[in-house]
Amino acid sequence: MPELDRRDFLKLVGVGAGAAAAAGCSDPVEKLIPYVVQPDIITPGIPVYYASTCRECPAGCGLHVKTREGRPIKLEGNPEHPVNKGSLCARGQAGLGRTYHPDRFPGPMLRGSDGKLAPISWKDATELVATKLRGGAGGAYLLGSDPGPTASGVLDKWVAAVGAGGRIVYEPFAPEALVEAAQLVFGNASEPVFDLSKADLVVSFANDFLETWVSPVEHARQLAEARDISAHPEGGARFVYFGPRLSMTASSSDEWIPARPGSEGILAMALARVVLENGGGSASERALLAGVLDGFDAERAAARTGVDAKTIERVGKALAKAKAPIALPPAGGFASNRARAATAAVLVLNQLTGAVGKTLALLPLPSDGKRASYKELLALVDSMKSGKVSVLLVHGADPAYSMPQTTDFADALTKVPFVVSFASSTDETSALAHLILPEHTPLESWGDAQPRAGVRSVLQPAVRPLQDTQALIDALLDIGRAVSPEVAAKLPTGSFRTLLEAAWSDADFRQVLQRGGVFAEKSGPASASLSPGVAKLGVADPVLEGEGDYVLLALPSPLLYDGRGANLPWLQEIPDPVTKIVWQSWLEVSHETAQKLGLVAGDVVVIETGGQRRAEVPVVPRGGIRNDVVALAVGQGHTQGLYASRELERGVNDPQGKRLYPLPENAGRQVARGVNVISLLAAATDEAGGRAWLTTKAKLTKAGRSERVAFTGANDNMRERMLGEAITLSDLVAGKSVVDPEMLGLAASVKERLQDAARRGEEMTPPAGVPAEALTRNGELIAFNPADDAKPGSPYRWGMSIDLDRCTGCSACVAACYLENNVPIVGEEQSIRGRIMSWLRLERYVTDGDIDYVGGRPPHSTLERLGHVGVRHLPMLCQHCGSAPCEPVCPVFATYHNPEGLNGMVYNRCIGTRYCSNNCPYKVRRFNYFDYSLETWPEPMKLMLNPDVTVRCQGVMEKCTYCAQRVEFARQPAKNEKRLIRDGEVTPACAQSCPTQAITFGNLKDADSQVAKKASDPKRGYHALHVLNTRPATTYLAKVVRGPVEV
Amino acid sequence: MSEPAPGHRIALPFLLFAVVTVVVLALPGAREVSAQAKSSETALEAQKLAWDDNAPGPKQPIPFSHAIHAGQYQIQCLYCHTGTDRSRMAGVPSVENCMGCHAQFGGDLEGVQILKKHWEEKTPIEWQQIHRLPEYVKFRHNRHIQAGVACQTCHGPVQEMNKVYLVPDRGWMNGVPVAKLEMGWCINCHNKNKASIDCLTCHH
Repeated sequence: MPELDRRDFLKLVGVGAGAAAAAGCSDPVEKLIPYVVQPDIITPGIPVYYASTCRECPAGCGLHVKTREGRPIKLEGNPEHPVNKGSLCARGQAGLGRTYHPDRFPGPMLRGSDGKLAPISWKDATELVATKLRGGAGGAYLLGSDPGPTASGVLDKWVAAVGAGGRIVYEPFAPEALVEAAQLVFGNASEPVFDLSKADLVVSFANDFLETWVSPVEHARQLAEARDISAHPEGGARFVYFGPRLSMTASSSDEWIPARPGSEGILAMALARVVLENGGGSASERALLAGVLDGFDAERAAARTGVDAKTIERVGKALAKAKAPIALPPAGGFASNRARAATAAVLVLNQLTGAVGKTLALLPLPSDGKRASYKELLALVDSMKSGKVSVLLVHGADPAYSMPQTTDFADALTKVPFVVSFASSTDETSALAHLILPEHTPLESWGDAQPRAGVRSVLQPAVRPLQDTQALIDALLDIGRAVSPEVAAKLPTGSFRTLLEAAWSDADFRQVLQRGGVFAEKSGPASASLSPGVAKLGVADPVLEGEGDYVLLALPSPLLYDGRGANLPWLQEIPDPVTKIVWQSWLEVSHETAQKLGLVAGDVVVIETGGQRRAEVPVVPRGGIRNDVVALAVGQGHTQGLYASRELERGVNDPQGKRLYPLPENAGRQVARGVNVISLLAAATDEAGGRAWLTTKAKLTKAGRSERVAFTGANDNMRERMLGEAITLSDLVAGKSVVDPEMLGLAASVKERLQDAARRGEEMTPPAGVPAEALTRNGELIAFNPADDAKPGSPYRWGMSIDLDRCTGCSACVAACYLENNVPIVGEEQSIRGRIMSWLRLERYVTDGDIDYVGGRPPHSTLERLGHVGVRHLPMLCQHCGSAPCEPVCPVFATYHNPEGLNGMVYNRCIGTRYCSNNCPYKVRRFNYFDYSLETWPEPMKLMLNPDVTVRCQGVMEKCTYCAQRVEFARQPAKNEKRLIRDGEVTPACAQSCPTQAITFGNLKDADSQVAKKASDPKRGYHALHVLNTRPATTYLAKVVRGPVEV
Repeated sequence: MSEPAPGHRIALPFLLFAVVTVVVLALPGAREVSAQAKSSETALEAQKLAWDDNAPGPKQPIPFSHAIHAGQYQIQCLYCHTGTDRSRMAGVPSVENCMGCHAQFGGDLEGVQILKKHWEEKTPIEWQQIHRLPEYVKFRHNRHIQAGVACQTCHGPVQEMNKVYLVPDRGWMNGVPVAKLEMGWCINCHNKNKASIDCLTCHH
């Protein structure tokens, strides 16, 4: 038998492989499944938009739900809506995932005697609840968030008809003190609405209005408008922030004054006194306040607030001088047991400076709907404990998570014989409920919302319910009707949909559904007068429980809010805007505190706040926090939920029982993800019964172990490279440029470009408005026009400009990018390894980033200093360089320069050498080390993928494409009409979502386009790391440093 | 890009069908024709060929013959494949679309009986896909229709096929043989017609 030589072997193998391949190719594996009845408005491949309303927080932003083939795939702001005007924050956008969440209940579930949930039919479940109510419903209570005016009205009718004990509206961060304080100061019930857009001086008293307070998207837009440098060459509104911590909001301020937490009321009184001394207020107001302001002279206030007397005098005088100042009251985590007095003091300050009618509108309280009341909730908890509550129906809230431990809510819940949860997916409260009647998610629901008087916003379903769920109101009406015919007679007839239409009968409902609501903004009175009640405001230091040395700040997280965002993986994976930490809890301490306790970043401390309340959490030392304060964000510490808890890492929800990448080291060690700071807080209320969050002092002791903190941005030091640049206002006024001509360009490449231009017979001309001497050195041209970096015949050179003066660091653009481009989630462990996949990240730098150390490691990884702002938020994405370092190193031509100037990335060509990433100075290329997409989108989350963007697999590089799919989409009508794509027709997802419109996209070859105008800003325009001569298409506009307020 | 939800729009084919039906029913004797509708020998034969196991192509759940519809009756492609001129995706007709005609005609054919069962049970028809591009290719039907490319250029002479299959077609691209629906085959045509050969046009 002849030997099989290598050549024959290869032949045989070749034939076998070929046959296998041919067999694999011959049979189509995919099916084409068309509709049975295709809806008129659906054409496969063409998106349909529905106007709706966001329910992720009480702000009530308008939505445009983008659907494809009947499935919502992206949430965008409704441009017509007066609250958000087309923008949407990260939380709102991530809300899309609720509908497709793997934690959703498949249908009604009943808890058996073994504690496990088992399916039950709606009919049986309804009958079960009705039976419980039949024997006397006096012990039945409804507890939940505000479901909107129409639903609220029906719920009240339901409570009356059934004879239930009552209905309590619960919203953990409801600004209850604001309405109470307005009542106290102005003597009538009104809702203060702050408009920053017309202000010339904004003073925030520990109010993080760009993050979570009342209407963050709207406030961000207003602040950007008031500070728009092109409309206000003198700099626009100045912004002073009083507060113990350099928060995301504080990082946008001109002056951060680290006042003691809880001293905001005293500070406002001291400022009011200075305002009065400098001619503010009327004679009667002066008389009224004379006694009240007695103890609040600058000197004494300085001792109590930690702000020196000169600063108080200076800011006070600036307030007295300002034409349209606005003062924002302490809120969120700074609501103390003196919150009403502090808020009232700030409202008095607004009144004295003439803000009412200009920047502060006192709108009538909405007549329909019920406001959140913490007082009523505490009363309910008491009756639960004493066994007076027989049935508790919980909807739209998670009190078992968000109520302080000292109220013993979870314990009280066990005393209620029958708890019904309407949660659509798993949470802490539903884990304790006996019966689960899942309601539709907001994208599946009808409904409405009233953000403020005059603004009525509608919700309409954009998708048929994915699970066997019901609308809350319909489920309750069914239950009520099943109780008895007498009850049924008292209930409104019809479904919630018909009731909603009836409630909107004063408007054309079809038009309402098209526009998203009826927007008739109301204005408040032009002026107001102080009520005599202000004579006894009672401004004082708050009482804090506990014995420790540090005040514990429990602040609403800009991403997770009050914890409701924790189960949405995008919000876990988008870095915290301040510390850039993902997926974890951390305790912010000052450098001094860390040094005193001998701690470095990641060292675990035991935090004790009295009683049995203790937790272990890693510390993150920073310069931007007072020494007497420690801060821990609200939102983590869940024990339920695939992403909110550590369930995913333990692998229990893995359907195949197979791990796609190794289990993290800490898998299964604990179930809770991070620490729930609420469990550390004492239960306190303000003067009017509103919830207090600033309640507790904390004691820290070193635990002697450390944890790996999931930092995604290790350092805020720019090391003198041109990254997040800034220009002082005086330089800007003097006509200086942020780009130092001495620093510019590499002469050799410039010479090359000049020669190129000469060869083409062209002359390189400086962009309009740029002085020639700024462009040349030794007679050579050193500036370039990014529009040149496209194929000469191409009508387009796509480019972007990002105005750092408008960027607040809110991360809405990051969320938009994740959801538009099917960017996978990698989880905590992979994030620690630096494998986060975001195409767009927000880098955060402090000051100009001088290298302040010689050799070795810097003393701290942060350049923050107390009372020093200097923060630069830098959205970093692919710069689409004209001379891209990534392109020449790709061995397979997977990344290349496209004729329209884009830096293309062709996934199907990529073989994963990662050379491009290594050669990219901006580090914006992301590599799929694993098939993240399989874990990122468990069923049914795959349904929310954008079908216009390829899902990348293992071993492939990916990066920002400037939303090439949106460019292609806009090209279709333009080509049909045989014209060019018009300016504004293409908006990438990041630019679309930005609350401050900091990002502009368009064609740089069109001199009239918005982006070309912005990118050619001779004073503020610059390119990141421009000395590398990468010729980016992304132009940053330097932040303007306005400096402290002067008088 | 953000358009509010569009209002109702009557589908063109449905309108056409309604007009045709009214006209047909108004003709004398039309009622008998539809009641006794006997399908032609050609139709019966076409149906048999559509399920011919020896013919190339996968077996479809319904013995649907393009040769009868597009060939003999000369029904325009876009009449059933609606939206193909407007959307990236080619519209596969809905069951309702088929029933628009077959509620009246061809009731004695096996294929139509299967169709009617789907209609009564309101279950979709699971067709086997024949012309398939990978997920990372974003082919735009509308762009090609607008440019005047005939459907047959890629799909072959469908109007002659009782059973549809991928008609082999080989070309040469840079000295390498390329089969139909492979990239070189696309690029060849794009080059000839001076269409874009930028990667991002199809891959994003």
